[in-house]
Amino acid sequence: MHFERQKLMAVTEYIAPKPAVPEKCITPYIKAVKEENGYAKLLRWQVVETFRESKMIAVCQHNFTPSEEMLLMKHRLRKHNIQVKFFPNEIVRPYLSVSKYKNLLPLFVGFNLMLVSPEIKVKEMLRILKNVPQINLLGACIDDTILSKQGVINYSKLPTMEITQGQVVGTLSLLASQACALLQHSSVQLTALLDQYIKQQSGGAGETDRKAGEGQAELGPAKSSAGL
Amino acid sequence: MAVPKAAVALRHVKSVMVRFCPFQTNVETTRIFLEHVNSKKARASNINCVVTTDVRHDGSEPVVDIMFADGDRLIMKGANLTAAEMLSAFNSRCIAKDLKAEEKTKKKGA
Repeated sequence: MHFERQKLMAVTEYIAPKPAVPEKCITPYIKAVKEENGYAKLLRWQVVETFRESKMIAVCQHNFTPSEEMLLMKHRLRKHNIQVKFFPNEIVRPYLSVSKYKNLLPLFVGFNLMLVSPEIKVKEMLRILKNVPQINLLGACIDDTILSKQGVINYSKLPTMEITQGQVVGTLSLLASQACALLQHSSVQLTALLDQYIKQQSGGAGETDRKAGEGQAELGPAKSSAGL
Repeated sequence: MAVPKAAVALRHVKSVMVRFCPFQTNVETTRIFLEHVNSKKARASNINCVVTTDVRHDGSEPVVDIMFADGDRLIMKGANLTAAEMLSAFNSRCIAKDLKAEEKTKKKGA
């Protein structure tokens, strides 16, 4: 072919248009933000409220319990103002990891139940739990202190606050009273000895008076017989 | 974590003792095993079986101690086991005992 024609043919060669890049490749895949389930929100709010209000939170493992026993146990606990709460682990764990109860995290595995109460009544709770062998106490958070099962048992054996306060006051005043007693010890002993001495003297004097009286009575008739 | 749905049969078991420390991180499988052992069907299969749970706080590893009616003892240390493994080990032994008992009855019958 003639060179010019060749050049012309080469320049005017048909260049097929490239297929457009499909949209899928350009636009980034936007994951639809899953809106939270309303029920999950409610449960989370309940968890926050429960942890805020209650002073005593006990976590137990819940093996299968027949419903009558469960009902009885709930009733007995209600009498002492202890409520039984169930929360799914997925909701409780994130809350715990953020709050100050981080060390309770390993407890929330498997099927658990929580006994919460605004008051602290450990003895009654332990007694009721003893009657239900299928519920095992794992740990508790009483007054912002995390306790194990043994710790809870020890806590229940402690005397009440009034008795403990009385003991503390007694111990503190013991020093002062001991010092007082030591200082007064010598004078008290002296007084006691003198008292004893006086009693002895008065007892002895009474005897000598009696003897003197008898002697005079004897002298009297003798004198009178002498005078006569 | 596939947990078999087959119920645990406690027919040949005299007592089960489960010991763990709940504040450790490796007790999950032991607790799941305990839940299965305490399930309704398991309880119904043998009312005389005693299941005791020992909750301690001394950092010891989780242990499951099963006493069988014929004197055998199965001790499983659950620190590195999955619940499925523990249950399958227990079930296989129960099945073996079932077979032994069947053979005995057949011999007695024959």
